[in-house]
Parts: sequence; C-alpha cells; structure tokens
Amino acid sequence: MTTLRAQTETKIRQLEARSLRGLWAMALFLLVSSAVYYGLERLFPLSPEIRSFLGPAPPLNLISLALVIYSFSAIVLILSRMTMGHPPGSGFAHVGYLTGFYIFFHLARASVENLWAVLAAGATILVLSAYHQRTFCAEAISEERETLARLELRERFGGEKREGGPE
Amino acid sequence: MLNNLGAKAIVPVAVTVTGFALVCCILLYAGIKADMTRDAVAHSLTLADTVVKSTRFAMLRADRETLGNIVDSVGRQQEVDHLRIFDKKGLISFSSNRVETGRFVDKDAGGCLGCHNTPTPRATLEQMQQARRIVGTRGGDILAVTAPIYNEPSCSNASCHVHPEGQKILGILDIGFDLAPLQASLASLRWRMAIFTLMLLILTGIGVAALLRRSVITPIQRLIDFTGREINDSLNDEGHGLHDEIGTVADNHHRLRRRLHAALAELAVLSAKSGVIKD
Repeated sequence: MTTLRAQTETKIRQLEARSLRGLWAMALFLLVSSAVYYGLERLFPLSPEIRSFLGPAPPLNLISLALVIYSFSAIVLILSRMTMGHPPGSGFAHVGYLTGFYIFFHLARASVENLWAVLAAGATILVLSAYHQRTFCAEAISEERETLARLELRERFGGEKREGGPE
Repeated sequence: MLNNLGAKAIVPVAVTVTGFALVCCILLYAGIKADMTRDAVAHSLTLADTVVKSTRFAMLRADRETLGNIVDSVGRQQEVDHLRIFDKKGLISFSSNRVETGRFVDKDAGGCLGCHNTPTPRATLEQMQQARRIVGTRGGDILAVTAPIYNEPSCSNASCHVHPEGQKILGILDIGFDLAPLQASLASLRWRMAIFTLMLLILTGIGVAALLRRSVITPIQRLIDFTGREINDSLNDEGHGLHDEIGTVADNHHRLRRRLHAALAELAVLSAKSGVIKD
C-alpha cells in the first residue's frame, strides 16, 4: 500500500513537472526569436565564401509555402491529439523546426515580415501545445489524486477494521 | 479559469483560427510588399531609361544647356528626390541639386558598390541590384536606381563629340523616388489585415461561445438543477425538458431515483412489519 502511495506521489510530481514543459519550450522559442531579431548577421556572420559554398537559398515563396503547410499540419496534429486524448508531443521539436525556418529566411535574405510570420506560427503552435500539455497533465493529476484519496480511505477503514474487529 | 467547459472549447479554437489567419496574413503582406517593391523598382528603371533616352540627342550634340534643363525639370517633380548624371570617374556633371554639380560621388556608397565591389567594375547589373533604399534629403525613405549610359556606335562615331569605341559605359544616371506613396499603401494594407484578423478572433470567440452555451452549458446547468432537485426534494415527474445525450443522462438519473425511492419504501414497510412482529 505504501509503495503504491509513493508511486502515485512520484507520478503526480512528474506530471506537475511535465505540465511546465510547454512553457519551457515557449521560453526557448522566445529566446531564439530575440536572437534572430537582434540580428543573425551580427551573431553568425556569413562570409561570401560560405554563402557560395552553401549555394543559392530556396526561393522566398517556397519557404513561405512550406511554413504555411508546416503550421497547418502541426495545428491539425495537436488538435487531433487533443480530441483523441493522446498524450501531448514535445514542444521542443517545434522549436527546432521553427529555428530551421528562421535560418532559411535568413539565408534567403528575407524581409522582417517573414520573421514575424515565423514568430506568429511559433506562438500559435507552442501556445496550443502548452495548453494541451497543461490540460492533459491537470486531468492526469486529478486522476492520481483520486487514487491517493481512495488509498487513504482504504488505509483508514482497513485500520479501523483491524483495531475494532472481532478477536 | 481555464478549467471550465467554455474555456476548454474556446481557447484552442480561438488560438488556432486567429494564429493561422495571422501567419497567412503576414506572409501575404510580405509577398504583396515584395511584389509592390519589385514593381516600383521596374517602374523607376523605366523612368530612368526614359530620362536617358530623352537626353540622348542633347548628349550627342554636347548641348549642356538642354541637358541641364531636362535634369532640372525632371528633378523638380514632387516624387523625385534627386537626379544626377555623373561620368565614369564619379564626377557629377548634372544634378537637380545644383550644389552637387562638379563634385565627386562617394564610391563607397551603397549605389556604387553594386558594380565597384570587385577589382574590375561590372558593366551590367540585374534589375533589383540597380536599386537601393536610402534616406532622402527631406528625411523620408527613397528608392534610388542607377541606369548606366552605354556607349553606342553613334556616340563613338560622332563627328562632334567622340568617345573611344572601347569605353563601354559613358556615365551613370542616378535617380531617387520618394517611397512615401508606396509606404502609405502598405500601411493601409497592414491596417486592413489587422482589422480582419481581429474581427476573425472576435467572431470565432463569439460563435464558439454562443454554440457552446446553447448546446452544452445551458443543458448541463438544467441537468445539474434537475438532479439537485431530485436529491434534495422528492421525485420530480414534471419532466426535465432536456434532449440528446444530456436528456438520456437525466432520464437514467430519474429512473435510478425512482428505484431507490421504491426500495426505500419497501424497506420502510419491511421494518414496520418486523417492528409489529417484535411487539
């Protein structure tokens, strides 16, 4: 009984930590975005030699189209996971994909509006993901607390039965 | 606050619709801005070419007075910030700003680097490379384009005013246009898109909230009231007025309460009977 109680308490602590994962992913994305707005050229200057080694960047329209398709798919995936009650995915993977878009737009010498589009897409996807994480973990925590309450009841009544039971 | 049914339904829908609409609007705006800028550059290059062609005859005849008048007239137009013609060395021969005439242009400036960033200057540039964005003399943003004045057979063979045949470029025409009208159009487009996104957010929020209230929240509140009345008072045979799945839940609760009621009555009768027997 004590082992089960300890296991449930550990599970609750893990779920509480997991519910904050979405917020950590959002904080990381904000950090990456601030670095991009500060100036990728200043942080990672690319010499003409490196640019010629990398070759021509993909066309801006193609990167924009890829961003729209990625945002659409990511949102649909998160919403379908929410509907089916599946556990939320890691928000950190999205931070990686979005950083990739920042890099592509930077290489294609895109205007600042394109960077704003990545920021808006990232905010939408990560807010949804964090919300899913939070609600999923809140429900799981409430289930675990119910288990704890049942255990407590069983311990109390079981104890009373032993104390006042027939000899 | 986020744990009630309304928030659970509205937050994901509102975030999804508004966020995706915002991403599409920003990308659409960036695309429209790039297209409009490209069109403005093409238009400016056409105008620069028109000026070069209209000065051709005066140049062939080395008619400095006519050339100066053309540069003055074009440069006085409201949209034109500056217009200058300089030779290969960068010496300004004609300018809408008279003070500049006879001076040298800065070869390290953005407009010159397009051709002069290599040891051998390039003779041709792509359309977008001929354009640059600068801050004008009046403080606003200026789109400046450079159009080379190429050597032609008529220039190298002329009897009055000869340039060597091997010289590819005789001079450069540099013209700057005020970007304020383009920026005003873009600002108006930005506002329209912002208002559209805001309206979309409001409509999504209100639409989902209204549907949710009508189909879920009000029936659940009625179910809570109905089951509460049955628990606190007695059996309620007046009906609950609920339909769908929520109506079925209310019916099941009512049936359960009836059975419990009957069982309790039966128990009461039995205990009364056992009391009589004991007595």
